[in-house]
Amino acid sequence: MNTISSDMEFRQALEALSLEQQRYVGARFVTNVLSLSEDARLQQVVEAATSEGDLESAFKIAKRASLEAHTRCGTEGDWNDQAGYFVARGVEAIVEPQIRTAGKNPAWKAAMQCRMARTCLASESDEDTHDLETGAQYQLLNDYLEKVNNP
Amino acid sequence: MSKPSIKKGIDFIKAQIDAPVASFFSSCVHCGLCAEACLFYTESGDPKYTPINKVEPMRRIWEQEYTMLGKLKSALGLTKPVDEETFKKWETMVYDGCSLCGRCSVVCPVGNDISGMVRKIREGFAAAGYAPPDLIGATQRAVEIGSPMGVKLPAVKAQLRHLEEDTGLKVTLDEKGAEYMVLLSSMEIMNFPEYLEAIARIMKQAGKTWTIASTAFEATNSGIQIGVSDLAKVIVSRIVDAAEELGVKTVISPECGHAYTAVRWEGPNLIGRPYKFEVKHILEVLDEFTKAGLIRTEGMEESRLTYHDPCQIARKGGIVEEPRRLLNQIASNFVEMSDAGAMNWCCSGGGGVSANERAEEIKLTAFNRKKSQLDALKVDTLVTACANCRLTLEEGLEHNGMDIPVVGLTEMVAEHLVEEESVS
Amino acid sequence: MEVNELLIWARGPAFNMALAIFVFGMLLRLFEIISLGRKSDLSAARDSGLSGGLRTIFSRSLPRKTVFAREPLRILNGYILHIGLFVVIFFYRPHIELLGLDLAGLSSSVIDAVTVITILSLFAALLMRLYSPVLQHISTVGDYLAWLITLLPLITGYMAYHHLMLDYTQMLAYHILSVELLLVLAPFTKLTHMFSFVLARWYQGYLAGRRGVES
Repeated sequence: MNTISSDMEFRQALEALSLEQQRYVGARFVTNVLSLSEDARLQQVVEAATSEGDLESAFKIAKRASLEAHTRCGTEGDWNDQAGYFVARGVEAIVEPQIRTAGKNPAWKAAMQCRMARTCLASESDEDTHDLETGAQYQLLNDYLEKVNNP
Repeated sequence: MSKPSIKKGIDFIKAQIDAPVASFFSSCVHCGLCAEACLFYTESGDPKYTPINKVEPMRRIWEQEYTMLGKLKSALGLTKPVDEETFKKWETMVYDGCSLCGRCSVVCPVGNDISGMVRKIREGFAAAGYAPPDLIGATQRAVEIGSPMGVKLPAVKAQLRHLEEDTGLKVTLDEKGAEYMVLLSSMEIMNFPEYLEAIARIMKQAGKTWTIASTAFEATNSGIQIGVSDLAKVIVSRIVDAAEELGVKTVISPECGHAYTAVRWEGPNLIGRPYKFEVKHILEVLDEFTKAGLIRTEGMEESRLTYHDPCQIARKGGIVEEPRRLLNQIASNFVEMSDAGAMNWCCSGGGGVSANERAEEIKLTAFNRKKSQLDALKVDTLVTACANCRLTLEEGLEHNGMDIPVVGLTEMVAEHLVEEESVS
Repeated sequence: MEVNELLIWARGPAFNMALAIFVFGMLLRLFEIISLGRKSDLSAARDSGLSGGLRTIFSRSLPRKTVFAREPLRILNGYILHIGLFVVIFFYRPHIELLGLDLAGLSSSVIDAVTVITILSLFAALLMRLYSPVLQHISTVGDYLAWLITLLPLITGYMAYHHLMLDYTQMLAYHILSVELLLVLAPFTKLTHMFSFVLARWYQGYLAGRRGVES
């Protein structure tokens, strides 16, 4: 079993998954950064993504959450809060309605947003935590693929 | 910003009055057509938002200071004064109820540039201390920190690292002799980092050298929004100094409405001399690259989509055909809203309105105009080229339960970019 | 004063004085505008300010579709009013003779009809001003004064021509006096727009032309 170690492999592996599977994997990515958001609604949405819950209303909630979390033009930005914005966008990505996601890769989108969320925390300092998130995502995907291939 | 006072406010307004302003006030016949072009009036029905009414305090000052008749009337006690009450009463009309969209200027039968006058009158209101606190904060941050939203260099660096790790594209800060210097808006840095990635990929394909200046990465200029030219000048100067120091040929203004106006048109007048470099909007650059065959796109968006023209870019920037040429290349079902192009209706959030929490209600009311345009068209996607328009539109759509995704044009182009390894 | 004396005075010295005040007043207003000057635009021009300015002087005479759709009557009435005034002043033979112009006049019955239409359009404008919330919000005494001094020459002229109410000589005197009233007051009301609009359109058009933007 090839373990994923580059973004190209990561993206291709995600693309090979079905929409449902992507939602599931995406949810794992998001759960990994969920603590960076203070919005309790996001947990529900993540659950809806993985349990065949009402995706439509989950999407509406996710959209509202990310809109509320964004930094308004001209207001003082707080990168810790902004991490929450990207988490919300990651959550949005995994419950986006099928029509909108046609041809796109929701799990990849979610993964990027989650990495951005982690990057936010590093924005105030010169630390580089980006790789940590990427690594974690590779691991999550590897674990998932293993389970799927070796039930 | 030094201590505000009513006297300062009045003096600043006086200083803004020039021959054009005098010709405008002399020509206004109170026909009221400007109101019919203003979304704050058309959607609220409140006549106080009539554009020419927004600058009434300036008219009074003009009449009393610069006309014999006005001086005579003043002496006879026949004029209304401009005092603290005036500033208090007019503040929300001048800031909350005007996005500097410029439609009024274009429809006035006698040729008055009313939105230009609102921009001017803001100088007085800010000097008098009658500007929205949110805007005052943004301007202070812009001057002290370098970004109205407090985005500092480490944040930009973090974004660049994120970019490099995700795409393998390296961006060098402060690269001398690069052809292009890219400016970003805090909104993009904070909310739409995909924009930076899109630029990086496009520039690589086009084979152009580019850089970001560590001392001047911010394109937006809240000095312009609030109306404090001194601060607007400080903010623009950073860009000019960096660009000229690095010897770049062109500075690229991002997908932000007023940043283009600030850097392209107002900048040289603020610093008192022409630039030694060109300023182009990212859409102009993309259009050029496409025309020259430097970048190619493949595939088409098939959803029914339309383009929202940001006021500062289309009506006030003159960039109307470029986005349409780009969209026609990558969208097979592109339909236009009524009044699209140079006469497009504002998203309702420009000119500092979206940064002003107090204006939330009137802004959402004004958004109904955009809602009507969209309801009539029934599209599945809305494309635009201004980060502020984007969020204002998203908020308005969400508020009205309309499920239409809003996408940035540069990102959309990047999504369809043909990326090939260069043949060496 | 006897009617004939009034008429002679109205036609003679009074007219000269009124015209002088009109010319001097308008020149003063224009001077007050132009003398303020304006800073040069230092941004890199995309296109010609000159052609933008000139074009805008003419193009603003036509309305934008989007505004016309919202207020067609108000806009159409504005055209009727201005064109009507122009025709009645410059295409009526007695006026043409008076002004020493080289124009072929229109028949009196045409002028008569146009006068009625113009008077009606003025009243329509007044009603619109009284009943529109926007116009009520921005209207001033000056608007009503300008309206009145524009109306009086039309009404008195009509009455004189039709020998209505008063004796012809008297009516004619009042007609000429009403024109003189208009001439004397015009520079001190919004009627300055009749000349300053060229400047306003030019200034905005010039800047827009330089920037290559809509105007």
